[in-house]
Amino acid sequence: MAIAGLADHDAVAARYKSVDPVYEQTRDMRLLGFVFFLLSDVVLFSMFIFAYLYLRSSVPNWPPITASGHRLPRFDTAFAAWNSIVLFGSGVTMHFAMENWKHLNREKFNFWLVSTIGLGIAFLLGQAYEYHNAAISWAGSTMGASFFTLTGMHGFHVFLGVLYLVVLLVQANRGVYTPSKYFGLTAGTLYWHFVDVIWVALFYLFYLM
Amino acid sequence: MATDALHSAHDHIHPAPEGFISKYVFSIDHKVIAIQYFMTGFLFFGIAGLLAELVRIQLLVPKGLIMSSSVYNGVYTLHGSAMVWMVIIPLVTGAFGNFVMPLQIGARDVAFPWLNMVSFWIFPVAGAILFYSALIGAPDAGWTEYPPISLQGPPGTTMWCVAIFLIGISSTMTGLNFMVTIIKMRAPGMTWTRMPLFTWATYATALMNMVATVALSAALAALFMERVFGVPFYDPAHGGSPVLWQHMFWFYSHPAVYIMILPAFGIVSEVLPTFSRKPIFGYKMIAFSSMAIALLGFAVWAHHMFTSGMAPWLQLPFMIITMVIAVPTGVKIFSWTATLWGGRIHFSAAMLFATAFIATFTFGGLTGFFLASVPADLHEHGTYFVVGHFHYVLFGGSVMGIMAGLYYWWPKATGRLMSEKLGKLHFWMTFIGMNGTFLPMHWLGLQGMPRRYATYETFAHAYPGAQLWNDVATYSSFIMALGLPLVIFNMIWSLKHGKRAGANPWGARTLEWMIASPPPYYNFKHIPQVLGLPYDFSEPLPYRNLDHKTDPYPAPSPATLSPGPLTVGAGV
Repeated sequence: MAIAGLADHDAVAARYKSVDPVYEQTRDMRLLGFVFFLLSDVVLFSMFIFAYLYLRSSVPNWPPITASGHRLPRFDTAFAAWNSIVLFGSGVTMHFAMENWKHLNREKFNFWLVSTIGLGIAFLLGQAYEYHNAAISWAGSTMGASFFTLTGMHGFHVFLGVLYLVVLLVQANRGVYTPSKYFGLTAGTLYWHFVDVIWVALFYLFYLM
Repeated sequence: MATDALHSAHDHIHPAPEGFISKYVFSIDHKVIAIQYFMTGFLFFGIAGLLAELVRIQLLVPKGLIMSSSVYNGVYTLHGSAMVWMVIIPLVTGAFGNFVMPLQIGARDVAFPWLNMVSFWIFPVAGAILFYSALIGAPDAGWTEYPPISLQGPPGTTMWCVAIFLIGISSTMTGLNFMVTIIKMRAPGMTWTRMPLFTWATYATALMNMVATVALSAALAALFMERVFGVPFYDPAHGGSPVLWQHMFWFYSHPAVYIMILPAFGIVSEVLPTFSRKPIFGYKMIAFSSMAIALLGFAVWAHHMFTSGMAPWLQLPFMIITMVIAVPTGVKIFSWTATLWGGRIHFSAAMLFATAFIATFTFGGLTGFFLASVPADLHEHGTYFVVGHFHYVLFGGSVMGIMAGLYYWWPKATGRLMSEKLGKLHFWMTFIGMNGTFLPMHWLGLQGMPRRYATYETFAHAYPGAQLWNDVATYSSFIMALGLPLVIFNMIWSLKHGKRAGANPWGARTLEWMIASPPPYYNFKHIPQVLGLPYDFSEPLPYRNLDHKTDPYPAPSPATLSPGPLTVGAGV
């Protein structure tokens, strides 16, 4: 990847290690705690995905056929695909933001983080548009129930993520983080990638499967 | 230079809070939080115990003595829900885990003290919401709240969802907190295989709390949405499946059984060697079997659903894995028995509870084996046999363990010894009362008495002993219940009149006994260095750098200090 000044990985690693032991232990614990938090979040999504697959496999047809005899429509895969590209793109920009922070390119960090926030908001607007134009409702069928619950939970995670990234942007520019102490940014990056990965699963389950 | 820096990291002591609020109310000290958990849990224990007595009084006569069927439904639902989520789980993890585990690993607090405080303060709120639900129409589908009954249940059922969801969040956060604490904050030299067994049990419990409880949160959120917004998950009329709830519920609630029992295993593993004056037998086997139980516990949930219309081919694997769990459990029971063998046993109140635990828990485990077997379960499911079984495990197991731990660690928490005489009286009342209450339930169940019925007139026609044995159970439960005010009196009495305990009244070897009772705010002035297992009762102690003056070693110079928990953590 052609980003200027990203070759000096040793310098990045050296800065990461140069912290005092109290901070190092705190960072270790927070990182582990954050990973565990994401793990428990994975279980939350997994349970609803299990519920979706269970309900889906318990009827002969999917999309299910309603009591009045008509078959529910499939979701708009093409639109969701474009929206997915927006979200995955935000994962890439987040990666650039983090790398630039580690390599002390403050301006590029700001540019990529703001891009990430913008793409996150764009994804949420796309989801709002999709919800608004959906042919099925949350309460109408098990298909609607699992779709809106899972994508809604995911959308809520993206929403919280956008808020978190805004806080990180402000904090980073106020000097809360230093070249060697930036756990908040690490956590934000992890969280954002996590939200991306969850979307891969949801996109397959609702639009492709 | 590095050693000096690490040394100072070690001796990083925060000053104790001054104000009443920060000291006793919104405290971030794990010891204060543990006592808060303990007091709240005991309050709920009293309420849930009274509800149990109402159930027993109702069953004194076949046509039911004091209440209508619908009230009865609410009473046993609240009893079960409160005992599981508001009493046992908070007591074994929040109270004992919080108080003992950081001391045992030589840490100054848990990894995230502030999160610990939030975990605690959710608990009384959740408990209040749960009991408040009784005022607006108590949930009435039993603690398992199976749909579709729970979908049609009174308004309190929604409150029930909220209360259990909240306490679930609290459990998840506590689990996460304890996991990080045990992985990252052990004193130097405390390798995984030098960790005290209660800490091992807490670790296995925390893992399950962190992973499984979220499954319950998901199931509850779906039930809440279905009740409030009509979103179909469980209602077959709208394409949902009631069996889906059972899968999601038991995917949590079976591990929850081990969440409730593993810390009790840990408590007993501490009490038995101390009062036998003998190293624990099979340390590693006990430690690893906790982990085996925790992992296997995730793969057995559907044994609760043999009569729910599950696919028959699924029943066999669930039956076999359930029976396999008896292996690590048996390993523990044999190890405890072997610990007692040839020891110089001192029957203190704590030891009485711990030894009785082995018997009563084993009995509950054996009846579990009956229930795990599909053909037997088809007959026993939904009868009092199940009620007898899980009360032997939860009362004869968890509560007996809690009481053993209470008598064992009370002097550490308060600096005072409880009255041994009253403690032994409490033990015999509890032991006789619990066996008298729960033992008859087994044959009542085998004769076909269904659980959760407010009356048993039909059953009494079929089985002449029905009323006799129900009355035996009820009168025994009074004996058991009277033990509770006795132990509460004993606790309060000891605060003023109990003998001063000193640092180590039982002559135990784990780290919590190497500091003053009650421990100072910072626990350890110097983080000790651990040289070996804490179950060898010979001299010298397996520690260096102790604050206490019984330290047989001279204080080492900073240069010989181990690099600290950082390197230990890095090795994991």
